Amino acid sequence: MANEPVGVLIVGAGASGAAFAWRIADMGLRVLCLEQGPWVKQSDYPSNNIDWESRGMGPFATSPNIRKLPADYPVNEQDSAISPLMFNAVGGSTILWAAHFPRFTPRDFRVKSDDGVADDWPIDYQTLEPYFAINDRMMGVSGLPGDPAYPYHEPPMPPLPLGKSGNVVAAGFQKLGWHWWPSDSAVTSREYEGRAPCINLGSCISGCAQGAKASTDITYWPAALRKGVEIRTGCRVREVTVRPDGMADGVLYYDEEGALQEQKAEIVVLACNGIGTPRLLLNSKSPQHPDGLANSSGLVGKNLMFHPYAAILGIFDEPLGGRRGPTGCSLWSHQFYETDRSRGFVRGYSFEAVRGFAPAQTSLWGMARGFVPWGEGHHQGFARIYDRTTGLLAITEDLPEEANTVTLDPELTDSHGIPAPKVNYRLSENSQKMLAHAVERAKEALTAAGAVETLAEPLMSAAGWHLMGTARMGKDPKTSVVNEWGRAHDARNLFIIDGSIFVTAGGVNPTSTIQALALYVADSIKKNIETLFD
Amino acid sequence: MTETPAPLRDSAFVQALFDVVIPPSDDGKLPGAGSLGLASTLAAQLEADPVFGPPVQAGLQAVYNAALARDPAGFAALPPQARVEVVESQLGAHPMLMIGLTLHLYPAYYQHPRVLEGLGEPPRPPFPEGYDLEPTDPHLLEHLRTQPRT
Repeated sequence: MANEPVGVLIVGAGASGAAFAWRIADMGLRVLCLEQGPWVKQSDYPSNNIDWESRGMGPFATSPNIRKLPADYPVNEQDSAISPLMFNAVGGSTILWAAHFPRFTPRDFRVKSDDGVADDWPIDYQTLEPYFAINDRMMGVSGLPGDPAYPYHEPPMPPLPLGKSGNVVAAGFQKLGWHWWPSDSAVTSREYEGRAPCINLGSCISGCAQGAKASTDITYWPAALRKGVEIRTGCRVREVTVRPDGMADGVLYYDEEGALQEQKAEIVVLACNGIGTPRLLLNSKSPQHPDGLANSSGLVGKNLMFHPYAAILGIFDEPLGGRRGPTGCSLWSHQFYETDRSRGFVRGYSFEAVRGFAPAQTSLWGMARGFVPWGEGHHQGFARIYDRTTGLLAITEDLPEEANTVTLDPELTDSHGIPAPKVNYRLSENSQKMLAHAVERAKEALTAAGAVETLAEPLMSAAGWHLMGTARMGKDPKTSVVNEWGRAHDARNLFIIDGSIFVTAGGVNPTSTIQALALYVADSIKKNIETLFD
Repeated sequence: MTETPAPLRDSAFVQALFDVVIPPSDDGKLPGAGSLGLASTLAAQLEADPVFGPPVQAGLQAVYNAALARDPAGFAALPPQARVEVVESQLGAHPMLMIGLTLHLYPAYYQHPRVLEGLGEPPRPPFPEGYDLEPTDPHLLEHLRTQPRT
């Protein structure tokens, strides 16, 4: 069935799709967004229930392969050291993220020039700076101005309280003379544009029932809808269609009832994340684009980057407040962020302080590590670690490698029969060295903070939150998929705005930068609209 | 409707076995897992668990049968130490039994209102009341204010 054509068609209503929709809405074109997931009600989030921890491991699990909801598609991750995580709904993965909200640093955009590795971005921090600020206002960011690791900027709200565990960890960093700073957090520290302040539910990564955590269903989308943007949920796009001249002319998608629909558009924008976007491009083969849409470089699906994570936990002799408070939003450290070749690796990593475990998670974590046995000794083992742990996550900069890929699985399909993505990813030697370094430094920091014992998970396999690099930006069509403002080299009315277009990964969470890029691409389209199709 | 496996339908067996896995705490603040009425929850979860469900159910049956062989009155009639011995005697043949059982029983136990109360936690969902959080130590912030701007 054919639908009335639109001016701008966005695929995906997550972090980038929402920001882009809001920014492009005043251009005067009809804007439509297709989203495979539903609107999720805050009353459905696990923290409304006493068994919220179990619910967070089931229908609100971060892995689509565990959730297996109708909105999800399977991901073949058998050959990947890290499992990709995502959520499919209006709001996308911001529904389940921790809202730790660092920006990329200026040097993150020029690693080739500074360190001789990977590539420089075709844009810089200064280009994105105004968009970072707009995005901070739209998402609602709390933070403390003046972090020396960043150019000066002022988050719109004061910082969140560190809580007991944050105070303890910060004191450890301070004792060592290491950099730390209260996190920029996309969580409200006071009432903000109709959103209530954070009440420390501690359940951020299974949805915020309070609405204090920014997810784009409650930040950008209401504003975009007020501007006239239309969103259709339960719509899974099968392929991007093209005109005889190779330009995009719309999509074919399955609607909520499973009927195949055709939607024509003048501009097509992909916002499906670093796995969904290359999957869709590779599924969009045509005589004009025999290797998949926008893939004349052969780079669609290549250079997949995660952020390899290490988790380091300290056990303390005092109560630390458990999981209460914003899960991943107390403090960060850039002490080891920049290249120091004496460490044996290039580039670096950041630390993100996290809070302790809730009771059920304590028991499972304790069981897996031998602290909480069954039978005699159970309660003593539990008491030793309950409310006595806090930790650090090391977020290491992954460098792009063409061998790390998203391809189409030859057999696995989603519920509509569309080929599913297959991820091939191995950890580089550089990343392994970085993780090992980070584990030792984190143990040092936690010990300085008073930990009586430290434990590490040197590579968190179920931590593929950040999906980047699979349709990289650049000025040369031979070595990149999109140009410096997100336009596909091979189809001038096709844009990509998610983490796929990252050239390098930085060593911090990417959502702030993804959204700033999406706003910048929207403005670039507006600026270039008169010559867009020339 | 799927039939509940025999051991999990025997409430005396379930109570005794769950108390072996998580006994009452010595100070009496925390109940044994057997007293919380978790059998039907566990049975449903095990039915839905394709990985651990079958080996746990097989292991439970083996424990059930081994106890009957030891005392015709069954597992619940055994003295506490004998119950532990019966469970342990089956772990060689059923190595997944306790891993799978605790994977389901621990979360069920630690989200039960009586257990939360025993831990000193309010027995309620996090929302809408939320929790208090210790403010940032002002001495830490004072240190940050001395940092040079970039």
